[in-house]
Amino acid sequence: MLTIEDLSVSYGAVQALKGVSLEVPPGRVTAVIGANGAGKSTLMRTLAGLEKPQSGRVTFNDTDITGRKPEDVVRMGIALVPEGRSTIPDLTVEENLKLGGMWRTHAQRNTSLTRAYTLFPVLGERRSLGADTLSGGERQQLAIGRALMTGPQVLLLDEPSLGLAPLIVTQILELVGTMAKDSGLAVLLVEQNATTALRVAKTGIVLNLGEIVKSGPAQEIAQDEELRHAYLGY
Amino acid sequence: MTNFIDYFLGGISSGVIIALMALALVLVWRSTRVVNFAQLAQAMFTTFIALTVRDLTGSWLLALAAALASGLVLGVIVHFLVIRPVKRMDTSGAIIATFGVLIALEAFAGMIWGGDGKAFPPPIRNTGFEIGGRVWPFSPYDLLVVVTVIVLVLALTIVFTRTSVGLAMRASAFNPEVARLSGVRVSRMLVLGWAIAGFVGAVAGVLVAPLTTLSPTAFDVFLVFAFTAAVIGGLDSLVGAVAFGIGTGLVISLVSGYTDSSNAPVVALVLLVVNLLFKPEGVFTHHKARTV
Repeated sequence: MLTIEDLSVSYGAVQALKGVSLEVPPGRVTAVIGANGAGKSTLMRTLAGLEKPQSGRVTFNDTDITGRKPEDVVRMGIALVPEGRSTIPDLTVEENLKLGGMWRTHAQRNTSLTRAYTLFPVLGERRSLGADTLSGGERQQLAIGRALMTGPQVLLLDEPSLGLAPLIVTQILELVGTMAKDSGLAVLLVEQNATTALRVAKTGIVLNLGEIVKSGPAQEIAQDEELRHAYLGY
Repeated sequence: MTNFIDYFLGGISSGVIIALMALALVLVWRSTRVVNFAQLAQAMFTTFIALTVRDLTGSWLLALAAALASGLVLGVIVHFLVIRPVKRMDTSGAIIATFGVLIALEAFAGMIWGGDGKAFPPPIRNTGFEIGGRVWPFSPYDLLVVVTVIVLVLALTIVFTRTSVGLAMRASAFNPEVARLSGVRVSRMLVLGWAIAGFVGAVAGVLVAPLTTLSPTAFDVFLVFAFTAAVIGGLDSLVGAVAFGIGTGLVISLVSGYTDSSNAPVVALVLLVVNLLFKPEGVFTHHKARTV
Protein backbone atom coordinates (compact mmCIF):
# COMPACT_ATOMS: atom_id res chain seq x y z
CA MET A 1 0.00 0.00 0.00
CA LEU A 2 1.08 3.54 -0.85
CA THR A 3 0.82 6.00 2.03
CA ILE A 4 1.31 9.73 1.70
CA GLU A 5 1.80 11.75 4.88
CA ASP A 6 1.79 15.52 5.18
CA LEU A 7 3.33 16.05 1.76
CA SER A 8 4.32 19.60 0.78
CA VAL A 9 5.85 20.63 -2.52
CA SER A 10 6.73 24.07 -3.78
CA TYR A 11 8.08 25.56 -6.98
CA GLY A 12 10.09 28.53 -5.79
CA ALA A 13 7.68 30.78 -3.96
CA VAL A 14 4.60 28.92 -5.19
CA GLN A 15 3.40 26.23 -2.81
CA ALA A 16 1.76 23.59 -4.99
CA LEU A 17 0.93 21.06 -2.24
CA LYS A 18 0.34 21.86 1.41
CA GLY A 19 0.39 18.96 3.84
CA VAL A 20 -1.45 16.38 1.75
CA SER A 21 -2.10 12.99 3.37
CA LEU A 22 -3.84 10.09 1.70
CA GLU A 23 -3.71 6.34 1.19
CA VAL A 24 -3.86 4.37 -2.01
CA PRO A 25 -5.13 0.89 -1.17
CA PRO A 26 -4.81 -2.09 -3.52
CA GLY A 27 -7.65 -3.50 -5.63
CA ARG A 28 -9.47 -0.25 -6.22
CA VAL A 29 -9.37 3.14 -7.86
CA THR A 30 -8.80 6.21 -5.71
CA ALA A 31 -9.70 9.40 -7.53
CA VAL A 32 -8.22 12.81 -6.84
CA ILE A 33 -10.33 15.52 -8.41
CA GLY A 34 -10.00 19.25 -8.51
CA ALA A 35 -9.81 22.23 -10.83
CA ASN A 36 -6.84 23.27 -12.89
CA GLY A 37 -3.96 24.30 -10.65
CA ALA A 38 -5.22 22.37 -7.64
CA GLY A 39 -1.91 20.53 -7.42
CA LYS A 40 -3.05 17.21 -8.90
CA SER A 41 -0.20 16.80 -11.36
CA THR A 42 2.32 17.93 -8.76
CA LEU A 43 1.08 15.21 -6.46
CA MET A 44 1.52 12.58 -9.17
CA ARG A 45 4.91 13.83 -10.28
CA THR A 46 6.16 13.89 -6.71
CA LEU A 47 4.96 10.35 -6.06
CA ALA A 48 6.76 9.20 -9.21
CA GLY A 49 9.97 10.91 -8.12
CA LEU A 50 10.00 13.66 -10.74
CA GLU A 51 9.64 16.42 -8.13
CA LYS A 52 11.32 16.59 -4.75
CA PRO A 53 9.02 17.30 -1.81
CA GLN A 54 9.75 20.06 0.66
CA SER A 55 8.51 18.01 3.57
CA GLY A 56 6.37 14.98 4.28
CA ARG A 57 6.76 11.28 3.67
CA VAL A 58 5.80 8.74 1.05
CA THR A 59 5.91 5.09 2.11
CA PHE A 60 5.31 2.07 -0.06
CA ASN A 61 4.88 -1.34 1.56
CA ASP A 62 6.55 0.05 4.70
CA THR A 63 9.57 1.41 2.81
CA ASP A 64 10.22 5.14 2.84
CA ILE A 65 10.49 6.19 -0.80
CA THR A 66 10.38 9.97 -0.31
CA GLY A 67 12.60 11.76 -2.81
CA ARG A 68 13.75 8.66 -4.68
CA LYS A 69 14.58 8.91 -8.36
CA PRO A 70 11.84 8.08 -10.90
CA GLU A 71 13.78 5.12 -12.30
CA ASP A 72 14.01 3.63 -8.80
CA VAL A 73 10.39 4.35 -7.91
CA VAL A 74 9.13 2.55 -11.00
CA ARG A 75 11.41 -0.41 -10.29
CA MET A 76 9.80 -0.71 -6.86
CA GLY A 77 6.38 -1.07 -8.48
CA ILE A 78 4.89 2.42 -8.82
CA ALA A 79 4.25 3.42 -12.42
CA LEU A 80 3.12 6.85 -13.59
CA VAL A 81 1.26 7.55 -16.82
CA PRO A 82 1.95 11.28 -17.05
CA GLU A 83 -0.43 13.86 -18.40
CA GLY A 84 -0.66 14.26 -22.16
CA ARG A 85 -0.31 10.73 -23.60
CA SER A 86 3.31 10.13 -22.87
CA THR A 87 4.25 7.96 -25.80
CA ILE A 88 7.37 8.40 -27.87
CA PRO A 89 6.18 9.05 -31.44
CA ASP A 90 9.58 8.23 -32.96
CA LEU A 91 9.38 4.64 -31.70
CA THR A 92 7.06 1.88 -32.85
CA VAL A 93 4.13 0.75 -30.75
CA GLU A 94 5.96 -2.37 -29.61
CA GLU A 95 9.15 -0.40 -28.83
CA ASN A 96 7.11 1.97 -26.67
CA LEU A 97 5.80 -1.02 -24.76
CA LYS A 98 9.16 -2.76 -24.51
CA LEU A 99 10.66 0.38 -23.04
CA GLY A 100 8.71 -0.34 -19.87
CA GLY A 101 10.35 -2.70 -17.43
CA MET A 102 13.66 -3.41 -19.14
CA TRP A 103 15.16 -4.51 -15.83
CA ARG A 104 12.65 -7.39 -15.55
CA THR A 105 13.34 -10.93 -16.73
CA HIS A 106 12.65 -11.92 -20.30
CA ALA A 107 9.77 -14.18 -19.21
CA GLN A 108 8.14 -11.48 -17.07
CA ARG A 109 8.34 -9.00 -19.92
CA ASN A 110 6.86 -11.44 -22.42
CA THR A 111 3.94 -12.17 -20.10
CA SER A 112 3.32 -8.44 -19.64
CA LEU A 113 3.53 -7.84 -23.38
CA THR A 114 0.98 -10.55 -24.13
CA ARG A 115 -1.25 -9.12 -21.44
CA ALA A 116 -0.97 -5.60 -22.85
CA TYR A 117 -1.98 -6.87 -26.29
CA THR A 118 -4.93 -8.74 -24.75
CA LEU A 119 -6.09 -5.67 -22.86
CA PHE A 120 -5.58 -3.36 -25.82
CA PRO A 121 -6.04 -5.44 -29.00
CA VAL A 122 -5.58 -2.38 -31.22
CA LEU A 123 -1.98 -2.11 -30.02
CA GLY A 124 -1.35 -5.67 -31.11
CA GLU A 125 -2.69 -4.92 -34.57
CA ARG A 126 -0.37 -1.93 -34.91
CA ARG A 127 2.66 -3.23 -33.04
CA SER A 128 5.18 -2.50 -35.79
CA LEU A 129 3.77 0.88 -36.78
CA GLY A 130 5.12 4.17 -35.49
CA ALA A 131 3.37 5.44 -32.38
CA ASP A 132 2.76 8.69 -34.27
CA THR A 133 0.19 6.87 -36.43
CA LEU A 134 -2.10 6.19 -33.46
CA SER A 135 -5.18 8.19 -32.55
CA GLY A 136 -5.40 10.04 -29.24
CA GLY A 137 -7.31 7.25 -27.53
CA GLU A 138 -4.91 4.61 -28.85
CA ARG A 139 -1.94 6.60 -27.61
CA GLN A 140 -3.45 6.77 -24.15
CA GLN A 141 -3.87 3.00 -24.26
CA LEU A 142 -0.24 2.71 -25.31
CA ALA A 143 0.87 4.96 -22.44
CA ILE A 144 -1.07 2.82 -19.96
CA GLY A 145 0.26 -0.33 -21.62
CA ARG A 146 3.84 0.91 -21.21
CA ALA A 147 3.21 1.57 -17.51
CA LEU A 148 1.76 -1.93 -17.10
CA MET A 149 4.87 -3.40 -18.74
CA THR A 150 6.79 -2.36 -15.64
CA GLY A 151 4.70 -4.82 -13.61
CA PRO A 152 3.36 -2.21 -11.18
CA GLN A 153 1.52 -2.68 -7.91
CA VAL A 154 0.47 0.96 -8.02
CA LEU A 155 -0.65 2.72 -11.18
CA LEU A 156 -0.67 6.53 -11.16
CA LEU A 157 -2.89 7.92 -13.92
CA ASP A 158 -2.57 11.64 -14.51
CA GLU A 159 -5.55 13.13 -16.36
CA PRO A 160 -6.08 10.31 -18.86
CA SER A 161 -9.24 11.95 -20.22
CA LEU A 162 -7.44 15.06 -21.48
CA GLY A 163 -8.45 15.73 -25.08
CA LEU A 164 -10.24 12.41 -25.57
CA ALA A 165 -13.82 11.78 -26.67
CA PRO A 166 -16.13 10.98 -23.70
CA LEU A 167 -16.92 7.48 -24.97
CA ILE A 168 -13.23 6.57 -25.17
CA VAL A 169 -12.59 8.03 -21.72
CA THR A 170 -15.36 5.87 -20.25
CA GLN A 171 -13.97 2.78 -21.97
CA ILE A 172 -10.43 3.35 -20.74
CA LEU A 173 -11.45 4.20 -17.18
CA GLU A 174 -13.80 1.23 -16.92
CA LEU A 175 -11.01 -1.02 -18.10
CA VAL A 176 -8.72 0.44 -15.43
CA GLY A 177 -11.43 -0.13 -12.80
CA THR A 178 -11.82 -3.76 -13.83
CA MET A 179 -8.08 -4.23 -13.82
CA ALA A 180 -7.82 -2.92 -10.28
CA LYS A 181 -10.58 -5.21 -9.08
CA ASP A 182 -9.29 -8.31 -10.87
CA SER A 183 -5.56 -8.05 -10.27
CA GLY A 184 -5.38 -6.16 -6.99
CA LEU A 185 -3.72 -3.19 -8.63
CA ALA A 186 -3.83 0.05 -6.64
CA VAL A 187 -4.87 2.89 -8.92
CA LEU A 188 -4.53 6.57 -8.13
CA LEU A 189 -6.45 8.51 -10.73
CA VAL A 190 -6.20 12.25 -11.07
CA GLU A 191 -8.94 13.94 -13.05
CA GLN A 192 -10.51 17.23 -13.90
CA ASN A 193 -13.40 15.28 -15.36
CA ALA A 194 -14.92 14.44 -11.97
CA THR A 195 -18.10 12.65 -13.10
CA THR A 196 -16.36 9.86 -14.99
CA ALA A 197 -13.56 9.55 -12.48
CA LEU A 198 -15.89 9.19 -9.51
CA ARG A 199 -17.93 6.58 -11.37
CA VAL A 200 -15.06 4.10 -11.48
CA ALA A 201 -13.47 5.13 -8.17
CA LYS A 202 -14.20 3.77 -4.74
CA THR A 203 -12.77 6.74 -2.86
CA GLY A 204 -12.86 10.36 -3.93
CA ILE A 205 -10.53 13.09 -2.77
CA VAL A 206 -11.07 16.74 -3.61
CA LEU A 207 -7.96 18.84 -3.93
CA ASN A 208 -8.10 22.65 -3.97
CA LEU A 209 -5.11 25.00 -4.11
CA GLY A 210 -2.81 22.28 -2.83
CA GLU A 211 -4.95 21.14 0.05
CA ILE A 212 -7.38 18.28 0.53
CA VAL A 213 -10.75 19.80 1.20
CA LYS A 214 -12.82 16.64 1.26
CA SER A 215 -12.39 12.90 1.03
CA GLY A 216 -14.81 10.03 1.29
CA PRO A 217 -16.67 7.36 -0.67
CA ALA A 218 -16.74 8.35 -4.33
CA GLN A 219 -20.52 8.17 -4.54
CA GLU A 220 -20.95 10.65 -1.72
CA ILE A 221 -18.53 13.08 -3.26
CA ALA A 222 -20.28 12.75 -6.62
CA GLN A 223 -23.63 13.66 -5.04
CA ASP A 224 -22.35 16.58 -2.96
CA GLU A 225 -23.66 19.50 -4.98
CA GLU A 226 -22.18 22.19 -2.78
CA LEU A 227 -18.73 20.69 -3.17
CA ARG A 228 -19.15 20.59 -6.92
CA HIS A 229 -20.11 24.24 -7.12
CA ALA A 230 -17.36 25.34 -4.79
CA TYR A 231 -14.37 23.42 -6.10
CA LEU A 232 -15.15 21.78 -9.40
CA GLY A 233 -16.96 24.63 -11.04
CA TYR A 234 -20.06 23.01 -12.48
CA MET B 1 34.48 12.37 -67.71
CA THR B 2 37.43 10.34 -66.45
CA ASN B 3 38.23 13.35 -64.27
CA PHE B 4 34.79 13.18 -62.74
CA ILE B 5 35.13 9.45 -62.07
CA ASP B 6 38.57 10.02 -60.53
CA TYR B 7 37.35 12.77 -58.22
CA PHE B 8 34.29 10.75 -57.33
CA LEU B 9 36.35 7.66 -56.43
CA GLY B 10 38.79 9.84 -54.54
CA GLY B 11 35.94 11.20 -52.43
CA ILE B 12 34.53 7.87 -51.31
CA SER B 13 36.93 7.04 -48.49
CA SER B 14 37.02 10.57 -47.09
CA GLY B 15 33.22 10.61 -47.43
CA VAL B 16 32.71 7.51 -45.32
CA ILE B 17 35.19 8.83 -42.75
CA ILE B 18 33.34 12.17 -42.56
CA ALA B 19 30.18 10.09 -42.15
CA LEU B 20 31.74 8.47 -39.05
CA MET B 21 32.75 11.84 -37.66
CA ALA B 22 29.27 13.25 -38.26
CA LEU B 23 27.89 10.12 -36.61
CA ALA B 24 29.96 10.82 -33.51
CA LEU B 25 28.62 14.39 -33.35
CA VAL B 26 25.05 13.11 -33.74
CA LEU B 27 25.50 10.47 -31.02
CA VAL B 28 26.57 13.13 -28.55
CA TRP B 29 23.87 15.55 -29.62
CA ARG B 30 21.20 12.86 -29.21
CA SER B 31 22.34 11.88 -25.76
CA THR B 32 23.05 15.29 -24.20
CA ARG B 33 21.82 17.98 -26.64
CA VAL B 34 25.34 19.31 -26.84
CA VAL B 35 27.34 19.78 -30.04
CA ASN B 36 30.75 18.46 -29.12
CA PHE B 37 33.20 20.68 -30.96
CA ALA B 38 35.99 18.74 -29.25
CA GLN B 39 34.92 15.47 -30.90
CA LEU B 40 37.67 15.55 -33.50
CA ALA B 41 40.26 16.89 -31.09
CA GLN B 42 39.48 13.79 -29.02
CA ALA B 43 39.93 11.74 -32.20
CA MET B 44 43.23 13.52 -32.91
CA PHE B 45 44.44 12.72 -29.40
CA THR B 46 43.48 9.05 -29.59
CA THR B 47 45.06 8.81 -33.04
CA PHE B 48 48.32 10.13 -31.58
CA ILE B 49 48.05 7.45 -28.91
CA ALA B 50 47.50 4.93 -31.70
CA LEU B 51 50.56 6.22 -33.57
CA THR B 52 52.66 5.88 -30.43
CA VAL B 53 51.47 2.31 -29.94
CA ARG B 54 52.16 1.59 -33.59
CA ASP B 55 55.69 2.99 -33.33
CA LEU B 56 56.33 0.92 -30.21
CA THR B 57 54.83 -2.37 -31.37
CA GLY B 58 54.76 -2.06 -35.15
CA SER B 59 51.22 -3.42 -35.18
CA TRP B 60 48.40 -1.48 -36.81
CA LEU B 61 45.76 -3.64 -35.15
CA LEU B 62 47.18 -2.94 -31.67
CA ALA B 63 47.26 0.75 -32.59
CA LEU B 64 43.60 0.57 -33.62
CA ALA B 65 42.71 -1.22 -30.38
CA ALA B 66 44.52 1.46 -28.38
CA ALA B 67 42.63 4.18 -30.24
CA LEU B 68 39.28 2.50 -29.63
CA ALA B 69 39.91 1.97 -25.93
CA SER B 70 41.25 5.48 -25.39
CA GLY B 71 38.38 6.90 -27.47
CA LEU B 72 35.83 5.27 -25.18
CA VAL B 73 37.65 6.42 -22.07
CA LEU B 74 38.28 9.95 -23.30
CA GLY B 75 34.59 10.34 -24.23
CA VAL B 76 33.59 9.32 -20.71
CA ILE B 77 36.23 11.55 -19.11
CA VAL B 78 35.16 14.63 -21.08
CA HIS B 79 31.54 13.94 -20.18
CA PHE B 80 32.16 13.58 -16.46
CA LEU B 81 34.88 16.20 -16.07
CA VAL B 82 33.51 18.98 -18.23
CA ILE B 83 30.06 18.49 -19.68
CA ARG B 84 28.14 17.21 -16.68
CA PRO B 85 29.26 19.89 -14.20
CA VAL B 86 28.85 22.74 -16.71
CA LYS B 87 25.55 21.50 -18.14
CA ARG B 88 23.99 21.53 -14.71
CA MET B 89 24.29 25.30 -14.89
CA ASP B 90 23.73 26.01 -18.54
CA THR B 91 23.42 24.05 -21.82
CA SER B 92 24.99 26.66 -24.07
CA GLY B 93 27.79 26.87 -21.51
CA ALA B 94 28.43 23.17 -22.13
CA ILE B 95 28.77 23.80 -25.86
CA ILE B 96 31.30 26.57 -25.21
CA ALA B 97 33.08 24.22 -22.81
CA THR B 98 33.62 21.75 -25.66
CA PHE B 99 35.66 24.49 -27.39
CA GLY B 100 37.73 24.66 -24.23
CA VAL B 101 38.30 20.92 -24.41
CA LEU B 102 39.28 21.27 -28.08
CA ILE B 103 41.90 23.92 -27.29
CA ALA B 104 43.19 22.02 -24.25
CA LEU B 105 43.54 18.72 -26.16
CA GLU B 106 45.36 20.41 -29.04
CA ALA B 107 47.71 22.09 -26.58
CA PHE B 108 48.37 18.83 -24.70
CA ALA B 109 48.98 16.99 -27.95
CA GLY B 110 51.43 19.69 -29.00
CA MET B 111 53.27 19.38 -25.69
CA ILE B 112 53.47 15.60 -25.88
CA TRP B 113 53.95 14.90 -29.57
CA GLY B 114 55.04 18.25 -30.98
CA GLY B 115 53.30 20.51 -33.46
CA ASP B 116 54.71 19.13 -36.72
CA GLY B 117 52.78 16.86 -39.04
CA LYS B 118 53.63 13.18 -38.61
CA ALA B 119 53.02 10.42 -41.10
CA PHE B 120 50.67 7.65 -40.04
CA PRO B 121 51.53 4.79 -42.38
CA PRO B 122 48.57 2.82 -43.74
CA PRO B 123 48.45 -0.88 -42.79
CA ILE B 124 48.07 -1.90 -46.43
CA ARG B 125 48.95 -0.43 -49.80
CA ASN B 126 47.54 3.04 -50.42
CA THR B 127 48.25 3.29 -54.12
CA GLY B 128 45.34 2.93 -56.49
CA PHE B 129 44.15 -0.31 -58.04
CA GLU B 130 45.34 -0.85 -61.56
CA ILE B 131 42.55 -1.93 -63.84
CA GLY B 132 42.65 -1.88 -67.64
CA GLY B 133 46.16 -0.49 -67.74
CA ARG B 134 45.21 2.56 -65.69
CA VAL B 135 45.74 3.39 -62.03
CA TRP B 136 42.46 4.44 -60.44
CA PRO B 137 42.36 6.70 -57.37
CA PHE B 138 40.95 3.96 -55.22
CA SER B 139 43.43 1.88 -53.25
CA PRO B 140 43.29 -1.31 -51.19
CA TYR B 141 43.45 0.98 -48.17
CA ASP B 142 40.38 2.92 -49.39
CA LEU B 143 38.61 -0.42 -49.66
CA LEU B 144 39.61 -1.28 -46.09
CA VAL B 145 38.25 2.08 -44.93
CA VAL B 146 34.93 1.58 -46.72
CA VAL B 147 34.52 -1.96 -45.40
CA THR B 148 35.41 -0.91 -41.83
CA VAL B 149 32.90 1.93 -41.92
CA ILE B 150 30.16 -0.29 -43.35
CA VAL B 151 30.76 -2.92 -40.66
CA LEU B 152 30.76 -0.30 -37.89
CA VAL B 153 27.60 1.42 -39.13
CA LEU B 154 25.83 -1.93 -39.48
CA ALA B 155 26.90 -2.92 -35.98
CA LEU B 156 25.67 0.40 -34.57
CA THR B 157 22.39 0.00 -36.46
CA ILE B 158 21.88 -3.43 -34.95
CA VAL B 159 22.71 -2.16 -31.47
CA PHE B 160 20.33 0.77 -31.80
CA THR B 161 17.40 -1.01 -33.40
CA ARG B 162 17.60 -4.59 -32.17
CA THR B 163 18.82 -4.45 -28.57
CA SER B 164 17.34 -3.27 -25.30
CA VAL B 165 20.28 -0.96 -24.66
CA GLY B 166 19.77 0.62 -28.07
CA LEU B 167 16.07 1.11 -27.41
CA ALA B 168 16.87 2.63 -24.01
CA MET B 169 19.38 4.99 -25.63
CA ARG B 170 16.95 6.09 -28.33
CA ALA B 171 14.15 6.60 -25.81
CA SER B 172 16.49 8.60 -23.56
CA ALA B 173 17.32 10.82 -26.53
CA PHE B 174 13.74 11.36 -27.65
CA ASN B 175 12.08 11.75 -24.27
CA PRO B 176 14.24 11.42 -21.15
CA GLU B 177 11.31 11.85 -18.78
CA VAL B 178 9.27 9.02 -20.27
CA ALA B 179 12.42 6.89 -20.36
CA ARG B 180 13.07 7.48 -16.66
CA LEU B 181 9.44 6.76 -15.81
CA SER B 182 9.84 3.47 -17.66
CA GLY B 183 12.79 2.56 -15.47
CA VAL B 184 15.67 3.47 -17.81
CA ARG B 185 18.73 4.89 -16.05
CA VAL B 186 18.98 7.83 -18.43
CA SER B 187 22.15 9.31 -16.92
CA ARG B 188 23.98 6.05 -17.75
CA MET B 189 22.66 6.20 -21.30
CA LEU B 190 24.17 9.69 -21.66
CA VAL B 191 27.56 8.39 -20.57
CA LEU B 192 27.18 5.51 -22.99
CA GLY B 193 26.36 7.99 -25.77
CA TRP B 194 29.60 9.90 -25.11
CA ALA B 195 31.55 6.67 -24.90
CA ILE B 196 30.23 5.32 -28.20
CA ALA B 197 30.78 8.71 -29.86
CA GLY B 198 34.37 8.68 -28.59
CA PHE B 199 34.78 5.16 -29.96
CA VAL B 200 33.36 6.07 -33.38
CA GLY B 201 35.48 9.23 -33.51
CA ALA B 202 38.58 7.21 -32.66
CA VAL B 203 37.92 4.83 -35.56
CA ALA B 204 37.49 7.83 -37.88
CA GLY B 205 40.76 9.31 -36.61
CA VAL B 206 42.81 6.18 -37.20
CA LEU B 207 41.26 5.68 -40.63
CA VAL B 208 41.77 9.25 -41.81
CA ALA B 209 45.31 9.69 -40.47
CA PRO B 210 47.07 7.84 -43.34
CA LEU B 211 45.20 10.02 -45.86
CA THR B 212 46.61 13.21 -44.35
CA THR B 213 49.37 13.98 -41.85
CA LEU B 214 48.78 13.84 -38.15
CA SER B 215 49.27 17.03 -36.16
CA PRO B 216 47.41 18.60 -33.21
CA THR B 217 45.27 20.70 -35.56
CA ALA B 218 45.13 18.26 -38.48
CA PHE B 219 41.48 17.31 -37.92
CA ASP B 220 40.15 20.86 -37.50
CA VAL B 221 39.12 21.04 -41.13
CA PHE B 222 37.24 17.74 -40.78
CA LEU B 223 35.24 19.26 -37.95
CA VAL B 224 33.86 21.76 -40.48
CA PHE B 225 32.93 18.93 -42.86
CA ALA B 226 31.48 16.65 -40.18
CA PHE B 227 29.52 19.46 -38.57
CA THR B 228 28.08 20.43 -41.96
CA ALA B 229 27.06 16.84 -42.66
CA ALA B 230 25.55 16.35 -39.20
CA VAL B 231 23.53 19.58 -39.34
CA ILE B 232 22.24 19.02 -42.88
CA GLY B 233 21.28 15.49 -41.86
CA GLY B 234 19.18 16.87 -39.03
CA LEU B 235 21.66 16.61 -36.13
CA ASP B 236 19.69 13.84 -34.46
CA SER B 237 19.47 11.42 -37.38
CA LEU B 238 22.06 8.66 -37.63
CA VAL B 239 20.95 7.92 -41.18
CA GLY B 240 21.22 11.61 -42.06
CA ALA B 241 24.74 11.83 -40.65
CA VAL B 242 25.92 8.87 -42.72
CA ALA B 243 24.17 9.95 -45.94
CA PHE B 244 25.30 13.56 -45.81
CA GLY B 245 28.75 12.63 -44.51
CA ILE B 246 29.35 10.60 -47.67
CA GLY B 247 27.72 13.37 -49.72
CA THR B 248 29.94 16.03 -48.18
CA GLY B 249 33.03 13.92 -48.87
CA LEU B 250 32.10 13.57 -52.52
CA VAL B 251 31.29 17.26 -52.95
CA ILE B 252 34.59 18.21 -51.33
CA SER B 253 36.51 15.84 -53.55
CA LEU B 254 34.84 17.25 -56.67
CA VAL B 255 35.45 20.84 -55.56
CA SER B 256 39.08 20.10 -54.70
CA GLY B 257 39.54 18.28 -57.98
CA TYR B 258 38.01 20.86 -60.31
CA THR B 259 39.25 23.92 -58.41
CA ASP B 260 41.54 23.80 -55.41
CA SER B 261 41.44 21.91 -52.14
CA SER B 262 41.58 25.15 -50.16
CA ASN B 263 38.06 25.90 -51.46
CA ALA B 264 36.60 22.81 -49.82
CA PRO B 265 35.88 24.27 -46.34
CA VAL B 266 34.28 27.33 -47.95
CA VAL B 267 31.99 25.12 -50.02
CA ALA B 268 31.08 23.16 -46.89
CA LEU B 269 30.16 26.36 -45.10
CA VAL B 270 28.12 27.52 -48.11
CA LEU B 271 26.23 24.21 -48.02
CA LEU B 272 25.65 24.73 -44.31
CA VAL B 273 24.32 28.26 -44.79
CA VAL B 274 22.05 27.21 -47.67
CA ASN B 275 20.72 24.40 -45.48
CA LEU B 276 20.09 26.73 -42.56
CA LEU B 277 18.32 29.22 -44.83
CA PHE B 278 16.00 26.80 -46.57
CA LYS B 279 15.68 23.74 -44.37
CA PRO B 280 17.00 24.67 -40.90
CA GLU B 281 15.53 21.60 -39.24
CA GLY B 282 17.68 19.34 -41.40
CA VAL B 283 16.68 16.76 -43.94
CA PHE B 284 16.23 13.64 -41.81
CA THR B 285 14.97 15.30 -38.68
CA HIS B 286 12.26 14.27 -36.26
CA HIS B 287 11.52 17.80 -35.21
CA LYS B 288 9.61 20.42 -37.10
CA ALA B 289 11.82 23.43 -36.53
CA ARG B 290 15.04 24.45 -34.96
CA THR B 291 15.88 28.04 -34.25
CA VAL B 292 19.00 29.38 -35.85
